[in-house]
Amino acid sequence: MNLKIPALEFVQEVKNGNISAEDFVAKTLERIQSVDDKLHAFLSVNEKAIDQARVIDKKVKSGDKVGACFGMPISIKDNICIKDSKTTCASKMLENFVAPYDATVITKLKEEDAIFVGKVNLDEFAMGLTTEFSAFGPSKNPWNTEYVPGGSSGGSAVSVSAFECVASLGSDTGGSVRNPASFCSTVGYKPTYGLISRYGLISYANSIEQIGPLTRTVKDAAFILNIISGLDPNDNTTVDNKNEDYLSEIDSGIEGKKIGIIKEMIGDGIDPAVLSATKDAISKLESLGAICEEVSLDMVKYSVAAYYTITATEAGSNLARYDNLRYGYDFPVEGYEFNSYISKARENFGPEVIRRMIIGGFVPSAGHAGKYFLKAMKVKSKLTREINEAFKKFDLLIAPTVPIMPFKIGEKIDDPVSLFLVDINTVTANLTGKPAISVPFAISNGLPIGIQLLADSMQDKLLLQAAYALEQTVTLPEVPI
Amino acid sequence: MVTEEEIKHVAKLMRIEIDDYAEYVNKVHAMIDYFDVLDSAGVESEEITMQEIPISNLREDKYIPFNEKLIEKLKNYKGTYVRAPKMS
Repeated sequence: MNLKIPALEFVQEVKNGNISAEDFVAKTLERIQSVDDKLHAFLSVNEKAIDQARVIDKKVKSGDKVGACFGMPISIKDNICIKDSKTTCASKMLENFVAPYDATVITKLKEEDAIFVGKVNLDEFAMGLTTEFSAFGPSKNPWNTEYVPGGSSGGSAVSVSAFECVASLGSDTGGSVRNPASFCSTVGYKPTYGLISRYGLISYANSIEQIGPLTRTVKDAAFILNIISGLDPNDNTTVDNKNEDYLSEIDSGIEGKKIGIIKEMIGDGIDPAVLSATKDAISKLESLGAICEEVSLDMVKYSVAAYYTITATEAGSNLARYDNLRYGYDFPVEGYEFNSYISKARENFGPEVIRRMIIGGFVPSAGHAGKYFLKAMKVKSKLTREINEAFKKFDLLIAPTVPIMPFKIGEKIDDPVSLFLVDINTVTANLTGKPAISVPFAISNGLPIGIQLLADSMQDKLLLQAAYALEQTVTLPEVPI
Repeated sequence: MVTEEEIKHVAKLMRIEIDDYAEYVNKVHAMIDYFDVLDSAGVESEEITMQEIPISNLREDKYIPFNEKLIEKLKNYKGTYVRAPKMS
């Protein structure tokens, strides 16, 4: 049984009766059993997965209608609710929280007969970019277990990369899907803001975050997008994509397309190996008939500061709900005064979450909002104008997903400001609402490099076509685990 | 310049009580100091633009009762009331 096949091949194999969903899911669970001690991608595993797969095999055999996923084993970031399953956000605060309902993306995947093999690790409440801030311990990069897998959807990237599932859902607030995808050599896709419902995604910074797939191939990302995108009455920020088919015409090529190389994302501090891979990607796109030239987005220099200011503000507000009365860990109310009770309960948050809540209280407060929050919102507006201007001239933009190589676990954990800068190339897509994708492109000294493409709002189909074209130009080695 | 006292005050407002203040204050300080870069962005005259959502996208204003079992997720409740500590 080959667990390494892409999602679309899995579907074909089960459909044709060459493999059974039950066998594949059973082997996937065995794989998790054998490698996850080393990698720590999973926070919980679905014990009923094999039984659920068996039901799908029966439907295939009897010729009943089967959903498009045909029992495909998928992992889900543990900040997305699956009914009657634990959803911990990798936080002690929600250690025992069992979700009372399904997120919309889960409902849609269930309708298409996906199997959820388990919930995967993240930085606590998705705040981080190494998965080291998980309250339950870090995930490890399957390419070299001494290295971080990226984050915050680290468990998602690790589980796809190490063949512990066929695909995964993560969430991307400032690069949390694309960054781990780049560090673990998987595809990671953040759609246009509003393309995928956030109902059932535990809120961190609502105004810019999106759920997105992590997959082995660009086609697989398009396949999953077809299932989970679209209007949702439970999320008023969703947009009508008119049931766009992102998979059809994905091989249209990029001949004649104009691609802008974002100057500010290949400048100071970029690792030479990342720069060289980026140049290589550009010349490959040119050889396919694309026209590439440099473009400047001046506000990128301020984007990380604006991003942290805005997200901390929203987080400070969103996390106010964890008061141990509605959610939280159990201790009795007797003997406490109201405020001290809540403060005591909130001691259960981890250090990064506490830091961001303090910042989130500070930057929008009276006397400081003008210097921080309002200025950050202005940077966001100006950055959006700049990128809209760029998309008048270019069809797509390109930059490395992360300007540096994956680093060792523990290397940056005590220096939050140096961690900030790892986000420099990814936050722009979130602040402006544009779709962006990380495509695995190179391996340097045994560690992966991803290349990021961005497109204008609602041009997700074009973006996936370009990503597919880029993906076809390279053959990468297999993960050494 | 942000002071330690300001950070402590905000932490209290955010209902965060921590033993090791020094540990947090230093890092939070460094993070907030980094935001000074926003002063160089030259955006003072920039308008803050908001995304407009057409009203037709809003869902119908209809009461849809949630599952009654939801209340069981609460640790301390009586009937449909949440039990909370005394306000001082």
